[in-house]
Amino acid sequence: MRKSLLGGRLSWLVFLIPMILPLVTKNTYYVHGILCQIFVFTILVTALDIIMGYLGDISLGHAGFFAVGAYAVAILTTTQELNAEGTLKFLPQLSFSAALIIAIVICAGVGAVLSFPSLRLSGDYLAATTIAYGMIIHTVINESENLTNGTKGINVPPLKLFGLVVEENHFLWVVYPVMLAVMWMVRNLAKSFWGRAFEAIKHSSIAAECCGVSRAKYKVSGFALSAALAGLAGGLFAHQDNYIGTATFSLDLSILLVIALVLGGVRSTLGNFIGMFLVVSLPDFFTGLKDYRLVAFGIVLLLTLFFLPNGLAGLFRRLTSRLFPAKDLTEFQQDIAARAANDKSPLFTSRPSNGDLVLNIQNVRKKFGGVTAVDKLDLKVRRGSIHGLMGPNGSGKSTTVNLITGLYPPSEGSIQLFDANVAKLSTARRSAKGISRTFQNLQLFGELTVLDNVLVGLHQSFKATLLSVLLSLPDTRKEEREMQVRAYRLLKFVGLEKQAFETASSLSYGQARRLEIARALGVNPTLLLLDEPAAGFSATEILELNEVIKKIKAEGIAILLIEHHMDMLLEVSDELTCLDFGRTIASGSPKEVQNSPKVMEAYLGTQTEGVTA
Amino acid sequence: MADFVQLLVSGVSQGMIYALLAVAYNITFSTSRTINFAIGNLLMMGGVVGFSLYIDMKTGQPLGRSFIIPFMGVLVVGSILGAFINKFAVEPSRRMKSEYGSALATLAVGIVLRNLVERRWSTDDYKFLSPVGDSPIRIFGAGVYPQEVLIIAASIFIVVALETFKSKTVLGRSIQAISEDRVTASLMGINPGFIVGFSFILSAMIAGVAGLLVAPITLVSATMGTVIGIKAYAVSIIGGLESGYGTIVGGIILGLCEVFTARFISSGYKDTTGFVFLILIILLRPNGIFGRKVVRKV
Repeated sequence: MRKSLLGGRLSWLVFLIPMILPLVTKNTYYVHGILCQIFVFTILVTALDIIMGYLGDISLGHAGFFAVGAYAVAILTTTQELNAEGTLKFLPQLSFSAALIIAIVICAGVGAVLSFPSLRLSGDYLAATTIAYGMIIHTVINESENLTNGTKGINVPPLKLFGLVVEENHFLWVVYPVMLAVMWMVRNLAKSFWGRAFEAIKHSSIAAECCGVSRAKYKVSGFALSAALAGLAGGLFAHQDNYIGTATFSLDLSILLVIALVLGGVRSTLGNFIGMFLVVSLPDFFTGLKDYRLVAFGIVLLLTLFFLPNGLAGLFRRLTSRLFPAKDLTEFQQDIAARAANDKSPLFTSRPSNGDLVLNIQNVRKKFGGVTAVDKLDLKVRRGSIHGLMGPNGSGKSTTVNLITGLYPPSEGSIQLFDANVAKLSTARRSAKGISRTFQNLQLFGELTVLDNVLVGLHQSFKATLLSVLLSLPDTRKEEREMQVRAYRLLKFVGLEKQAFETASSLSYGQARRLEIARALGVNPTLLLLDEPAAGFSATEILELNEVIKKIKAEGIAILLIEHHMDMLLEVSDELTCLDFGRTIASGSPKEVQNSPKVMEAYLGTQTEGVTA
Repeated sequence: MADFVQLLVSGVSQGMIYALLAVAYNITFSTSRTINFAIGNLLMMGGVVGFSLYIDMKTGQPLGRSFIIPFMGVLVVGSILGAFINKFAVEPSRRMKSEYGSALATLAVGIVLRNLVERRWSTDDYKFLSPVGDSPIRIFGAGVYPQEVLIIAASIFIVVALETFKSKTVLGRSIQAISEDRVTASLMGINPGFIVGFSFILSAMIAGVAGLLVAPITLVSATMGTVIGIKAYAVSIIGGLESGYGTIVGGIILGLCEVFTARFISSGYKDTTGFVFLILIILLRPNGIFGRKVVRKV
């Protein structure tokens, strides 16, 4: 299959071919001028892909980060002699490697700060904000003459590495390996729990938070990382011509980056390269195009957006999947299944805790403006028991779940998990403490596979550091494999292992509901909140679901089950609470609640009302 | 005092241009829920088309035509471009359902326009002689350009006329209905496709007129719209969708902040005021001043 296609284990040698170029040709225009520029800009596009492809945000200000990196390296390494007519005052004259590291750190910091708009904004608002900060950076560089030489630009000394001067075509020996390394690291990141966290946030940040993925942490880190890589590209760019000027770092560059990314296709390192390759080289091959390149690229962007939404990489993937249809199960999939079958370790580990009382809600109230959605709610859920929560539409059931998971802050009252008050913790922190949930309106990560959805649920179990993820160290790969096996076993637990490698959006409705449960179980919960898990189910499907719920209970997990299906609640619940207009109208054993006159009144109305109505 | 009056007038007239562009942003936002990132370049087109029809490019002197001709020319070109943007950038991205489709598509149209003007027209800056004269009038000892007075008067007239149009005519009310609730409005027999298209034409014409108005106090060039377009977006959010008058207030605030920055801090940082404004306003009012906060249901 694929291996034979690329020539087996030695296929990576293909990547070495460009390294020969400086030895065989003296043509600096194409090798140094065009190719090296493509390599540097590809790093920039790969950086942008983290934000646009994986996090699903937008940045029209990446030229700004690129500029910060380039200027940092230029300022830190240049000398007075090279800029005799300039106004430069701050000239530390560091070595290139030291300057580059500082540039990357500065850019990461700037990226982290400028990520804050993305925490609150999306869509056009974010686009406009990023344009604005790109322009601010541009203005600041233009105006800080003592630091940046203003519009005159900076002459940079020739690149020196290990005492050797790197000039002209030899520059390729620096930029090409760096580009490959960046692409490799971003790929590693994308395939790891980091990449899944990014995609989870993109699809549903609420569901991601409930899986313990902190939206703020990953957005800020994603922007910082992207800015750091853009800074790295900028640092290299300072030595492309050994001169930098502000004109390069305009809004147009940011837009060209987006065009290269969209054209090549997001979430594809090869696509990043192809996109940038076309954007840099096309105007060169068609000289008539040079003057009209923005016209041409504008039209290319429009056409790509509307006719090739996944870019050239998407087209390529579609073609290859048609030419080489996937076999039933790949080696990887068989391996996971085999390991899962052999793994007898406990699927759920018990968390340190005291007592049997898992959830204790006291006197909780939630107001939305003038409406009291939940009023004076008391609720206790014990280990290994199922507490049913029923009530007509709008009685406050989902609000209760949202209060427990921290999506809404309570107006008053306390929410205790064991003895600890969790009412002030973020959703992701509560998930880390073992509160997990499913959603009434399905919130699956549609583009991820079924297995990956469960892996997002397992997010908290990953221990690898960012560095080891980027470098894909053996420990990290081992951890990933272990988690895949655990996710597969969880899918087996809910009876969904056959669909493990399909995309989540292709599941049937009933399968999607089960996947929600499997993902929630990935959190290794002490308390599982099931928000109408049987909505829209047939009677047989309910019976199957009952079995799954009983199995979860047998694992010692406390369950709060919200349902409308009375027969189901009576069948599985140990205790039952009925809400109406935010108030508890009945609580106790299922039989008691079922026969409570108040409950009948809430559902059916009183007899007198029935007659008059 | 004289200094102050001068700053005041130039700040307010600059602000009025922002207000006009902000109105142009708002009309299409209210009907299509997208931001037209080509607005700045539509302003540029207004300036360039008006210049070509009014001034002799070689001598820099007026061609001796009535100002009605460039004005009509700008309206015609504006309406064509508005219809074009709606048809080939906004409508296709609505079908795409991608969050950033329309932003990128309108941005693409914007750079195409700019590049075409650079190539077919010129990459230089040109002085646009004002139809109302270029010698300053003395007010309180301050030199005020007649064009600045024209800008203020014309902008207020346009905003008031537009507000009246929106509240008093059937077509204007249809725009408001679509902006309130697209589905219900279309059930009431309003054709949303037509209204959105109309709003883009109207918006592009206003942006073009803004370009024609601003040209004599700046310079005409292919890049004259880029920065102004982004800053006006900040004003569009400050001003608010419901009221065109709000944009006048927002425009004046930004215009004044800019002239005072240029005067007392540094003229190089003049534009930065607008960008900082934009970021702060968007951050502090994430739903915009016009947006009601919606509780997301899960």
